[in-house]
Amino acid sequence: MPDTTSLDHPAQRAFNPYTENGGTILAIAGADFSVIAGDTRQSEGYSIQTRYAPKVFQLTDRAVLAVNGFAADGNMFVKKVKQRLEWYRHAHSKDMPLRAIARLIQTMLYGRRFFPYYVYNILGGIEEDGTGAVYSFDPVGSYEREACRAAGAAQSLVQPFLDNQIYFKNQRPAHNTSHPVHLPLATVLSIVIDSFTGATERHIEVGDGLEIYVVLAKGRGLHGLEGVRGVQELTATDDGERVFVVRRELKKD
Amino acid sequence: MSVMEYNGGSVIAMVGKDCVAIASDLRLGNQALGITSNFQRVFPVTNRLYIGLPGLGTDVTTLRERFRYRVNMYTIKEERDIQPETFAHLVSSTLYEHRFGPYFIEPVIAGLSKAPSGGFKPFIAATDLIGCLNFAKDFVVAGTASAKLFGVAEGLWEPDLEPEDLFETISQTLLNAVDRDAFSGWGAVVHVITKDQVVTRTLKGRMD
Amino acid sequence: MFLTRSEYDRGVNTFSPEGRLFQVEYAIEAIKLGSTTVGVRTPEGVVLAVEKRVQSPLLESSSIEKIMEIDRHLGCAMSGLTADARTMIDHARVTAQNHAFTYDEPIKVESVTQAVCDLALRFGESVHDEGAMMSRPFGVALLIAGIDELGPQLYHTDPSGTFMRYDAKAIGSGSEAAQSELQSKWYKQMTLSAAQTLTLQVLKQVMEEKLDHHNVQLAQVTPQNGFEILDEVNLKEIIDAM
Repeated sequence: MPDTTSLDHPAQRAFNPYTENGGTILAIAGADFSVIAGDTRQSEGYSIQTRYAPKVFQLTDRAVLAVNGFAADGNMFVKKVKQRLEWYRHAHSKDMPLRAIARLIQTMLYGRRFFPYYVYNILGGIEEDGTGAVYSFDPVGSYEREACRAAGAAQSLVQPFLDNQIYFKNQRPAHNTSHPVHLPLATVLSIVIDSFTGATERHIEVGDGLEIYVVLAKGRGLHGLEGVRGVQELTATDDGERVFVVRRELKKD
Repeated sequence: MSVMEYNGGSVIAMVGKDCVAIASDLRLGNQALGITSNFQRVFPVTNRLYIGLPGLGTDVTTLRERFRYRVNMYTIKEERDIQPETFAHLVSSTLYEHRFGPYFIEPVIAGLSKAPSGGFKPFIAATDLIGCLNFAKDFVVAGTASAKLFGVAEGLWEPDLEPEDLFETISQTLLNAVDRDAFSGWGAVVHVITKDQVVTRTLKGRMD
Repeated sequence: MFLTRSEYDRGVNTFSPEGRLFQVEYAIEAIKLGSTTVGVRTPEGVVLAVEKRVQSPLLESSSIEKIMEIDRHLGCAMSGLTADARTMIDHARVTAQNHAFTYDEPIKVESVTQAVCDLALRFGESVHDEGAMMSRPFGVALLIAGIDELGPQLYHTDPSGTFMRYDAKAIGSGSEAAQSELQSKWYKQMTLSAAQTLTLQVLKQVMEEKLDHHNVQLAQVTPQNGFEILDEVNLKEIIDAM
């Protein structure tokens, strides 16, 4: 006999298409380089799903994209961006410039204005004029070029630290001197590592592993990268820009 | 919105070499609206002991009076200054008395305690709003900017800072943290406690 | 000749046994009836010049529009059924604007040319159950001039959707004579003003009327000012200096 009792009272069901998978990303632009980093822990609630889920992706030899938020959306978004870059290569016979990728990402995100990709994007790399650049986005495509940006679970821990160490906020330069506009690569790398060890210490969703991508402008030497433990080159073309990744362990507790 | 964020404000305390520091912003707001930029929430308990009371403004006043009363009673009865460890437990039990109808305050305590040798030992502690004690060895934070304070402090703090360096560290930590918090800021006050003196400085900060 | 074509020259989507699409070939013929149009590329920019056939003294010559802007860095001159060119240029403009909107950069000259040529082959197509949108090939050829990161460029498109890059190109009724003249007069390090003079001289040779600032139009694309149609005052100066 069919169950008719359930029809007596209307029942409401809900499906939530989003989850939050934790983790933090960060990018800093130098004069002729860009550093883009993210931890590799992926969690759901209090459970760790994996200790190695990359959030930072090399798009071209001059662009690296970090994606944080809902991991499924993030991975699909990166896939779609890469597909658009391939189409662009075919249509215009060149790699897409960084600012064009930035605008493309805004268009793609806004295209889903009413069912957004639940992700915060940070794009880092080298502009056509050879300067290091960082672009940060909100989930629906509002974007801005900046010198540095943190996003994700530990954004509130890392961003004020970056304000202080990168922008020299609340610091006054010594008499007759001024703050540097761009920091050297070695300094930036240690600020990135310090930011993530700090975030790992105090935030349960941050930890396990750290991937730091470094994009160097055309003709720039390695200075700041030589002697760094475990550097791996990922450069794919001979256009001049070079991409490296540095991997570090973070605490796993 | 949570009562803990109703008036805003943040406090931090740090340990240095034979010294401690405690600092707070000076904002009192009514949710998003700023009311005053000289609201004191850090108070001396003894010559070498301070307490910061971030949280609901009305409870700052009430608890300050309660602690003053209880410390005075202690001093009269015991005929000696209360020690930081003792005071921390006094704070804890006072708050726990109101376990199911708490004061909306998360106190931060910083002071120098008398060592058996006759010297002084840095002491800091913090509790949640029902008095659960946290005796940290490095720094403690509380208030609406606590996440930011944690992040910056974790990056800037190091062991055995001399009083002047501790002052710089705690000031930079507080200022940069409250600049990223809409409910904290509007100036700051820092107390550096050494065995001989307490140096109190008022800091200018962003007024937005 | 008509015998061989009679069966296969009606359908736009039917090849003849020799492998020809007659309607496309006829469309290319239509261009040869159009007014002469010349384009010249130099390292300083690209110059476009067209003959305006003023058929009646009562005709306002300024209302004849044969050179149009596609984008700030792109211009276009036409010959043939100029009404068809409006559809193509409209498509080019939309493509250029969409590119700038999506990528925050000016579209390349070749890309916009490719987009126009994609459209050229859309005849005979139908969308699902709707009727065909375009029933015949375009009867117009374009000279697309522009500047991008590869420098000044000049492209020629025809109704078959083929496009090629040229240093100098003439289309329209006088194109054969004009093209051989361009071939003998064009040189690599030409200045922009030399190119202006060259285009006008070539037009002058193939025009039936006496060339003046009313019956020709001159435009250029330069890195400094992008696309601009020269006004009559400017044009007259150049003609007088010839």
